Amino acid sequence: MSTPTDRPQPMLAVEGLVVKYGARTAVDGVGFAIGRGEIVGLLGPNGAGKTTTLSVIEGLRAPHAGTVTVDGVDALRHPIDARARMGVQLQSSGFQPELSIEQLLRLYAGLYGVRMSHREALDALNDTGLERESGKRLKNLSGGQQQRFSLLIASIHNPLLLLLDEPTSGLDPQSRRSLWQRIENSRRGGGSILLTTHSMEEAQAVCDRIVIIDHGKLVATGSPAELIATHRDDPRVLALAHGEPTLEDVFIALTGSDLRD
Amino acid sequence: MTDTTTIATPSIGLTLRSLLRADATVIARSRQTLILNLAVPILILVITDRAAARPGGNALGGQASGVMIALALAYGLLSSSLLGYSITVARDREAGVFQRLRVTPTPTWAIMLSRLLVQFAAAIVTSIIVIVVGGIMHHVSYGAGSYVLIFLVALYGAAMFLGIGQAIVGLIRSTTAVNAVGRVLYIVLLLLGILGISGALGDTFTNVSKWTPVGALITLFAAVQNTGAWSSDDTWSTVAIGAYLVVFSVIGIRWFQWESN
Repeated sequence: MSTPTDRPQPMLAVEGLVVKYGARTAVDGVGFAIGRGEIVGLLGPNGAGKTTTLSVIEGLRAPHAGTVTVDGVDALRHPIDARARMGVQLQSSGFQPELSIEQLLRLYAGLYGVRMSHREALDALNDTGLERESGKRLKNLSGGQQQRFSLLIASIHNPLLLLLDEPTSGLDPQSRRSLWQRIENSRRGGGSILLTTHSMEEAQAVCDRIVIIDHGKLVATGSPAELIATHRDDPRVLALAHGEPTLEDVFIALTGSDLRD
Repeated sequence: MTDTTTIATPSIGLTLRSLLRADATVIARSRQTLILNLAVPILILVITDRAAARPGGNALGGQASGVMIALALAYGLLSSSLLGYSITVARDREAGVFQRLRVTPTPTWAIMLSRLLVQFAAAIVTSIIVIVVGGIMHHVSYGAGSYVLIFLVALYGAAMFLGIGQAIVGLIRSTTAVNAVGRVLYIVLLLLGILGISGALGDTFTNVSKWTPVGALITLFAAVQNTGAWSSDDTWSTVAIGAYLVVFSVIGIRWFQWESN
């Protein structure tokens, strides 16, 4: 990828991504970039191609076409180097059920190249409010604790890029706010963040910029305020809005109100 | 802007140590696996000890004790390496454990190597217990050279069963199906071995069964307990085990699916 010398290199650059499942094209030419210290929300209805796009960036799936660059590293040709720069929170936990959360923390710290003693692991858990749970298995934690732990694992090596797949799904408002704060703290630490969410409230509260995809294609991109301003006079938005148009009105107007599986 | 050269890929030594520690903890905490690994071989030793103690019970002649210990060893390895391994891998694949590990900068070969090394360690522990218990129950003692040969054959047999387990879990995605096929194969191989040794179904059946994976391994175990009587059948058993190992491993690795759907 050529980068103009007068512009900073993006932390993540996705270009012309195409992913097919048999005859069906799940992602069709999607491209976007994330700057350093930027939080970007990847939005779309169910089946729009969000998780598939993330899985290509994570290196779990090979695309049929397109490029993914993380901090200047070609993630498709050098996936290990790219993953060393990333932290990933998956939708499902996927942790070994036999291990305690302290053992899981030390395992994943090691996999990210962070040597962690018992004391250091407890300190890290303490920072997340989980020290007293260190001997417990993940299934015995509450939903909020599990998400906090999952975010801790994803950020244990202070990654340059955090990928969060529906990080606050199923959380109560208190836990959600707490997680938003942790996401914001990660950004303050210098990291860039790409998150998927179905919550327009979350997208508006947390994200600097939104990328909306539908049927595998890029539909719109911009800051929440820009998206609202650009589409506020769209008849579809006006038909949906009750008073001032919201991001949700814009989202539904752009992606349709049909139910998706 | 971050200097891309400052982000180092984690050392493979730390990665492997972290994986081995976690995999060893998982297998040590899996009560079902431990019981499976030891219950059947110990049961075989108890039953054959009691049968041999009856008047005229030593129907297999002077080498019966060695053959029975060999049978018990073969089933110990069959339990841990074929059944235990394939079911654990299938379960972890379905639970997203592999997916979680693969989004870290860990090479896939390291994930598999760690699991295989831990399984080999479990096979060695199983072999030591079976040989010690078998030696006590059947009043057999071995020289140091025989112990070394028995452990080498145990590793060889474990590798063969791991190869078969890898083929099962590689070709079949569904955890339920892997579980069912593994158990059916386990019973079929168990019966083939026992009925083959007993000669109850005639010479033809015995001749066929001794070239099955379990039959060939029992032959080889019995042979290394009495190397003075090494025959061409023993040599061909060595070749047969190698062939099973190579063929099934290639199938299992070539077609292994990292995701369950």
